Amino acid sequence: MHKGKMNLSRLAPPIRRSLAALALMVSTATLISSAQAAPESTSNHAQFVTQPCYIDGLSERLQCGYITVPENPEQPNGKVIDVHFAVLPAIKNTHPQEALLAIAGGPGQSAIENAAGFDRMLNKVRQQRDILLIDQRGTGKSNLLQCEGEGFEGALAIDESTFNTAEETQKCLDTLTKDGTDVRQYGSINALHDFEAIRTHLGYSKLHIYGISYGTRMAQLYMRHYPQHLLTVTLDGVVPMQQSVIAIGDAIERGFDKLLQDCEANTLCQQQFPQLAVELSSVKADLAAQATISQVNDPLTGETTQLTMTLNKFLGALRMALYNPNVRALIPHAIHQAAQGNYQAIMGLYAMTIDSTGIAMGMHTSVVCGEDWQRISPEFRAQVTRSYFGKEMLSSFDQSCNVWQMPAAPADFSAAIDSDIPTLVLSGELDPATPPSWGEMAMEKLKNAKHFIAPYATHGVAYQSCGNDLIHQLVTQLSVETLDASCLDKDVSRNFYLNASTVEAVPANTVTNSTKETPSAGAQL
Amino acid sequence: MINRILTMVRKELIDAARDKRSVMAGLYYAIGTPLMMCGMFMMLISQLTSPDDLNIHIQNPDKAPDLVKFLASSGINNGASSETPGLKVKEIYLTIADDYPEQMAKGLRAEVTLVADNSNEKLQKSISRLKKQLQAYASEMGSLRLIARGIDPRVVQPLKVVVEDQATADSKGGIILGFAIFTMIYAVFISGMNLAIDTSAGERERNSLALLLSHPISTWQLVMSKIISVTIFAMLGLALILIVSKIAYAFVPWQELGFAVNINPSFMLVMLAVGFPVAIMAAATQLFVSFMAKSFKEAQSYLTIVLLLPAALALAASYDIAPDTLQWLPVSGQQQALMAYVKGREIPLVQLAVSSLATLGIALALTFGLERSLKSEKIVFGL
Repeated sequence: MHKGKMNLSRLAPPIRRSLAALALMVSTATLISSAQAAPESTSNHAQFVTQPCYIDGLSERLQCGYITVPENPEQPNGKVIDVHFAVLPAIKNTHPQEALLAIAGGPGQSAIENAAGFDRMLNKVRQQRDILLIDQRGTGKSNLLQCEGEGFEGALAIDESTFNTAEETQKCLDTLTKDGTDVRQYGSINALHDFEAIRTHLGYSKLHIYGISYGTRMAQLYMRHYPQHLLTVTLDGVVPMQQSVIAIGDAIERGFDKLLQDCEANTLCQQQFPQLAVELSSVKADLAAQATISQVNDPLTGETTQLTMTLNKFLGALRMALYNPNVRALIPHAIHQAAQGNYQAIMGLYAMTIDSTGIAMGMHTSVVCGEDWQRISPEFRAQVTRSYFGKEMLSSFDQSCNVWQMPAAPADFSAAIDSDIPTLVLSGELDPATPPSWGEMAMEKLKNAKHFIAPYATHGVAYQSCGNDLIHQLVTQLSVETLDASCLDKDVSRNFYLNASTVEAVPANTVTNSTKETPSAGAQL
Repeated sequence: MINRILTMVRKELIDAARDKRSVMAGLYYAIGTPLMMCGMFMMLISQLTSPDDLNIHIQNPDKAPDLVKFLASSGINNGASSETPGLKVKEIYLTIADDYPEQMAKGLRAEVTLVADNSNEKLQKSISRLKKQLQAYASEMGSLRLIARGIDPRVVQPLKVVVEDQATADSKGGIILGFAIFTMIYAVFISGMNLAIDTSAGERERNSLALLLSHPISTWQLVMSKIISVTIFAMLGLALILIVSKIAYAFVPWQELGFAVNINPSFMLVMLAVGFPVAIMAAATQLFVSFMAKSFKEAQSYLTIVLLLPAALALAASYDIAPDTLQWLPVSGQQQALMAYVKGREIPLVQLAVSSLATLGIALALTFGLERSLKSEKIVFGL
């Protein structure tokens, strides 16, 4: 019960929880959700409200609203929840009957909280069509299933191996169910029907869909259950229906390998860090044997505090850094410093992952336990546990899913999607979560689809390349035939950090005393 | 009496329709202006927006290959390095200092010099886009430098400024719509002008006025019929410009500037209602002035000067000059009310009522003046 494995790296910087850091999850959101969970509606008809609103990161006025739906569709008179949505209105609405539904990842991220990122990325689509964002049930404002923790004060000092996942998960479950919430109702299929209900209520006859990461699973389900309402689909960083997300362990390993290869192929990086692979292994071995404890200045408060550098923190911090091409550039330097016994940079990266509330862990657990954990075979289990992350993840879900007691998704849930809807599939070659092979797997029965691999992108191709222009083309032309993906090959890779300050070649005779800055510094009173 | 007026109006309109010059003058304006404005805005938009691929001159690029690549990833390319012939390279120069790598390596500030003419409207957007990207690069590096030192980058961003802009996509287009509304209001003056001149100074020139007055009708009826026919022409012109604008403006890619210009049916109705008193006043003014002239040409030159006044009022209102005074005056009051309506704000009803009443008041006064002048032998016999 942890780790946002497939997050929208670019939407929110890679500030996700590291493995098994359940105790660190703080959320005041459960309070909010229980306050919202007392609607006036008694009928089984979804209620519909919309009003002008502002969303963090966007200065303009948007339209927000929610529909009230039964938590359990089998019990229309039982508990109801509000599912919130936001519409980024088209600048010049030439297609009022259409909207582009953008679905966030996680599982557990709020689409509405990521509105600014979607707006920037989908800016061209939005010139003529509304963008619809929905907080999937259990995330954001829609009866958020977040687990409360002990707070962040101890985040640096904690040793994750002392951590009892089963106990913490039980505590979380007890808190969430206090208001009558049934966590078993927060799987993808129920959420899909909410999406469809919102589409009907807003009066859009057709939708374009953009799904990122776990959002691609929702997009594929939409293709399976309501194909008649879809015009086009874009799957970015694909989780194919046939794939259990627990296989992400291998993808992370691959991400690390890609990084080492990149550094080796890059003259500057290779010269500066010729032993990077060796250094990484040695730090891993050292930390696996024993955690390093030191006194540090807290990254945020500056106060002296204890840092317990564990293998978990080390790899977790690096893993999250792999999501973002620009943060990724710092990894070789961070590994090299760690090998010298200096964990400053690792701590900096780790601090970025601590206090993110970006992933609703309760909803995350509902989805993964119902749809991914139960489908895995013994062979798969043996394969997954070969990697560090696979093993950690599996043992953690083994404990949390036993507590959660999700019913298994039906067997046909994991069948390949068979569809002729124009579908654009995007994968990033450097993706540490959903590698291109997953995109290939999603293509199996897609009859009208194209799969493009962006050589310099990580997770979330449309945010890091011209992928968003391709989406715009697809939306306007309604066909994948004419898409020209050559622009994806434009080299947008970034230099690696060679020390704590620069990405450019360090001149051989870099002297320490500076004459350049002194005058301006002296002139300041 | 009503019948007589109607007969007269019919006569005036048939006369006017026969006179192609009057009809065409109104048509030219109503059709031509929106088309011209659209063409103008289309050109303006392509100039104002920065092209997807912005090519600039980067000097000394080998000193900062990562920066150059970063700029390229956001579409700002080094035009000098491109082999494509005939590539459009903007007159923007970015020079990377020779000691850039040294300064960077030491964690100090590295210098880049941006040379461009910021008064050149064609470059402004591109310059600010380049500045923004440089800023983004700097702040990204700044954050990563802090992370590399184990410091949370948020500590150097103490303020989080949240902006809640109350503008809508429609209201952002307000300035342009203000100008569009001006052209529409002005249409009531232009469309009826030729008819007004023809039916007054023209009649004097042709010496048909005396003949007309010898019929068993009162000067009052004569004046009314002339005002009504000129008003009808003015309103036809207004309706026409609305229809043409509605169609033409839809073709302009306003969304590229981040706003919308919508001429919807409800706006058209409001425009017609608000424009009606203005049309009456326009008719009365034009007839009053034209009757003072002895010939068509003379009237034309008088009117050109007189029409500057409403034009100035409407323009001042559309550019928000002295709005507190102008909202009470004729023409500018209506212009302001229409702009408020377009921007989705509340229509200032009191101000609109006052300015509309003032408009009608002026029209009435001029009508009396007309009626009086037509009793003067000087006017009737062109002495």
